[in-house]
Amino acid sequence: MIKKWLAVATAAGLTIALSACAADADSDTSSAPASSGDSAACESVTEVTWLNTIKIEIRDQFLGAVDEYNASQECYEIVVLDYPQGEPFFSVVTPLYESEQAPVVMTALQELPDMADRVMDWTGSDLAALAAPGSLDGANIGGKQVGIPVTAEAFGLLYNKAVLDEAGVDPTAIQSRADLEEAFQAVEATGRSAVHFSGLWWSLGAHFSNIYHTTAAEDLEGKLTVLDGLVDETYSLMDDPKFIEWLDTFDLMKEYSIDSASIADTDYDQGVENLATGEVGFWFMGNWAEPNLLQTTPEGSFGVMPMPTGANAGDYGNDSISVGVPFYIMIDETQSTEGERAGAIDFLSWLLTTPEGQARWAGPIEEDGMNFIPMYEGFTVSPSTYMSQDIAAYIAGGKTLEWMNSYYPAGLQDVYGYEGGQPYYDGVVDRAGYAEVLEGAWVGAEKSWR
Amino acid sequence: MKSETSKKSLKSFKRFGIFAALPLAVFALVLIVPFLRGIFLTFTNWDGFEFDSFVGLDNYVLSVQDEAFWSAMTMTFGYVIASLILVNLVGFGLALLVTIPMRAANVYRTFFFVPNLIGGVILGLIWQFIFGEALPSISKAFSLPIFNDNWLLSPTTAFWAMVIVTVWQMGGYMMIIYVTGLMSIEKDVLEAAIIDGASALRTLLSIKIPLMASAFTISMFLTIRNSFMAYDLNLALTGGGPYRTTELISLHVFKEAFGFGNFATGQSQAVMMFLVIAAAALTQVVLSKRAEVQR
Repeated sequence: MIKKWLAVATAAGLTIALSACAADADSDTSSAPASSGDSAACESVTEVTWLNTIKIEIRDQFLGAVDEYNASQECYEIVVLDYPQGEPFFSVVTPLYESEQAPVVMTALQELPDMADRVMDWTGSDLAALAAPGSLDGANIGGKQVGIPVTAEAFGLLYNKAVLDEAGVDPTAIQSRADLEEAFQAVEATGRSAVHFSGLWWSLGAHFSNIYHTTAAEDLEGKLTVLDGLVDETYSLMDDPKFIEWLDTFDLMKEYSIDSASIADTDYDQGVENLATGEVGFWFMGNWAEPNLLQTTPEGSFGVMPMPTGANAGDYGNDSISVGVPFYIMIDETQSTEGERAGAIDFLSWLLTTPEGQARWAGPIEEDGMNFIPMYEGFTVSPSTYMSQDIAAYIAGGKTLEWMNSYYPAGLQDVYGYEGGQPYYDGVVDRAGYAEVLEGAWVGAEKSWR
Repeated sequence: MKSETSKKSLKSFKRFGIFAALPLAVFALVLIVPFLRGIFLTFTNWDGFEFDSFVGLDNYVLSVQDEAFWSAMTMTFGYVIASLILVNLVGFGLALLVTIPMRAANVYRTFFFVPNLIGGVILGLIWQFIFGEALPSISKAFSLPIFNDNWLLSPTTAFWAMVIVTVWQMGGYMMIIYVTGLMSIEKDVLEAAIIDGASALRTLLSIKIPLMASAFTISMFLTIRNSFMAYDLNLALTGGGPYRTTELISLHVFKEAFGFGNFATGQSQAVMMFLVIAAAALTQVVLSKRAEVQR
């Protein structure tokens, strides 16, 4: 399923060359609600609140889009509610609900099941119809479509092309863990460190842990069965050869990691600096880091490649990167008026279906765009950076892995990262101790995927 | 006669109403009502938004079974004891220093008090830089192995880092209270002690400390209360890390509720935290009061 929507996403936005969906896209766009225009149509201006969970890196670009939309019509005014970065979603949202000031528009991922009773059902809406097939699945809670996707993000091993070129490493030729080690050695031979392996709790807790969960089985059902087993306390990670191989990869990354990588919260900036300046050849991170890397080294080329855990070329997952939807857009139904909901949809339609909105949504950062990978048909704007093209190639080739971390219940990635990943990263616990923490994290969890 | 009494009580009631009704109403609305509602919610299946059934003591049972809650509680007790001793030692020591008659005494008092004016979050970020960047750099430059590694990245040193910052922040505040205590001792008693030939140490132990015991009661109460409820410094300095080993009880309750979405359990842990703090603070006040001397 995921392959299907990714293919459509690619066609719709990433590689214009693959224009299979172009004809459909045109007709769908015309049926989408047009942005409301003249003041004569509205008696008064309706305020629509948007809780700003958009990443801080593109906050100004998002606010720019809001300003442009507000100026473009006189029916609605989008009011952006500030969201303190790094705060848990519930700590911001529950007080707003309690005080009867729920935001009209919100974005979330792991909190979707908790929000399902309070938000609008997108089923049958024009925007949901435009969304790439399968991209809606992650926000379908018990048959209710609680959200529509924001973008796709990808994580894997980021690389500095100049460093790999100098070391004579071709990222596409890395097919197994052994190949990866050889590549690390080749980079070290140039006098650099091979890799920056971040000990950030969220990187270990959500992203690196996903590499295991998404390669634990070859189909989604198999991967979910592992989660079932963990919740039922019947699954032993240490008896799973895929888990052991994943730990071997963890150890390999640790062994070749630069000294300045650590579990400190400041590690992200250190990682950006190390990869951007060519101190290292690789960094385990995601495409959201590309703007930061390019800010440090504007002339650099930074790509993304798989994180191979299998010992043999051809092992499942060795050739694929993890791609998923990081956030879904929800519209409150319990405290908003019909007019506010219409305003929210009007704004989203403007963002996703008009040329001006699309330029804001998917255009390059330096041109005030948010650099989102479009998940909707009819996009004429697409990100054009080196990494985006890398991702496009993986998507077009069907070389993608699910984000199993979107099935983690709220807070589980904290346990995975803080209590499991970081102690193992620092060598404070052994493999069995790590496995025990990961298993314990699932006890008593709800199977939101069933 | 009877009517006169009732008139009087009516008058005093009116006076009470004029002066106290508004503050009392505000106090009740912002403190008592939410507090009672909070206790009420612990007996429900509240999910942060609403509840639809009563669950008895289930939330308390879950709280007691939560291992992380107990390790946060243990960590908090350790932190409270360490802060209690060190903050008051430093505060009292500084108070003795700045009450020595000298020209710049007031400048020193201000100087030592300033850290208390910096908010916990900013303080946390400043010290994150000091422990993470400044001290390791200095340490490497001067070959002082003690600060070579970032103190915030290993459990034991991260704990002591928190205590150090707490002492740095609260020491000056307690100093002011101790200074007031020292200044309130009447000169005639001290002069009598000197005439009787008491040494400085003897005067301190037998005259000054007993006569300013109420300053100790207040300072220790404030330290205990502040340390038990420490949150902003904990969040900004260590974030509970590394490996959630320095998570104090307030931060744990916050994470349980808002991070994991277990609102009812988090709330019941908050109630348990209240009971523990109340018991500890009352015990301390009762014990300290006994040590106070009436002249």
